[in-house]
Amino acid sequence: MASMIQPKARRYLPGLLLTAVLLMVSATAAQAQTSTADSLAAWQKVSSVLTHPRCLNCHQPNVPKQGDNRQIHVPLVVRGPAGHGVGAMTCGSCHNASNNPTSRTPGAPHWHLAPASMNWEGLSDRELCLMLKDPKRNGKRTPEALVTHMANDGLVLWGWEAGAGRESVPMPHKEFVDHLKVWVAGGTACPK
Amino acid sequence: MVTLNVNGKNEEMDVSPEMPLLWALRDRLNLTGTKYGCGRAMCGACTVHVDGEAIRSCSIMVGTVAGGKKKITTIEGASGKVAAAVINAWQKLDVVQCGYCQSGQIMSAITLLSKNSKPTDTDIDLGMEGNICRCGTYVRIRQAIHQAAKSLA
Repeated sequence: MASMIQPKARRYLPGLLLTAVLLMVSATAAQAQTSTADSLAAWQKVSSVLTHPRCLNCHQPNVPKQGDNRQIHVPLVVRGPAGHGVGAMTCGSCHNASNNPTSRTPGAPHWHLAPASMNWEGLSDRELCLMLKDPKRNGKRTPEALVTHMANDGLVLWGWEAGAGRESVPMPHKEFVDHLKVWVAGGTACPK
Repeated sequence: MVTLNVNGKNEEMDVSPEMPLLWALRDRLNLTGTKYGCGRAMCGACTVHVDGEAIRSCSIMVGTVAGGKKKITTIEGASGKVAAAVINAWQKLDVVQCGYCQSGQIMSAITLLSKNSKPTDTDIDLGMEGNICRCGTYVRIRQAIHQAAKSLA
């Protein structure tokens, strides 16, 4: 192919190629930097939802919390072997698959404590981010599976329909999922 | 119209699926052994069984247990080896004082012992945490559960 190029043009070819390569490298770097920055910015929004009482109250080591003031669950209930309580004190003892307007007990499908590996209490923003994307601690979920989980799971969605007497997650659910998608698309960036 | 399987019998009634199970049991079926305490799932006086699990009937809605497949058992229908052991121990140790909370206490104790045949004091305290007794019979409740466990061993 080089033999088909005129000698005069051939003289400029190395320079042109170098310029093209430099431009490509620079563009890729800029894109990656933007994506990481976007991902980080999106994470801040995601994190603000994950640390809301509606999420955090049940991402606890052993005992759920309740209410907007995040008090220890009354009556006291502990995790138990399957995250559903012990003895005559299980989640299903009081919680339905939907909110109960009479007793005002909150309810959603498969109401239970998050697995112990998903304890979010006391984590820094960075620790929470690292945990969320760690398949060993996030229920073996890929980043895409995290999006699916948070977009569709009935218990997650309850956070936006929390019922009387407690604040629902203020950010609209669609906006939250959009931020989550940006975080994933940008490489699940975590703050330092 | 909803169907509830209560104490082994299908019962049909025209009630809202959001009605607390407690009202269906007490007001529609006249099973008044189950008591109303707080109405907020905080005291345990209304405890009955659904498929053997202790539930607070003031908080669980009729729609959650309707259809006839879920077996609801009230204190009136409590039976079997574990139930008999618990009731015997309750009588022997004279656990009851005013008695208002005791049907709920007994139903919870049956569930606890069905899951854990040799509970420690801590198991009992945690497993019975949702049942409050204003007379303070907790010490005798604990003793009775240990005694029932022994009699079942």
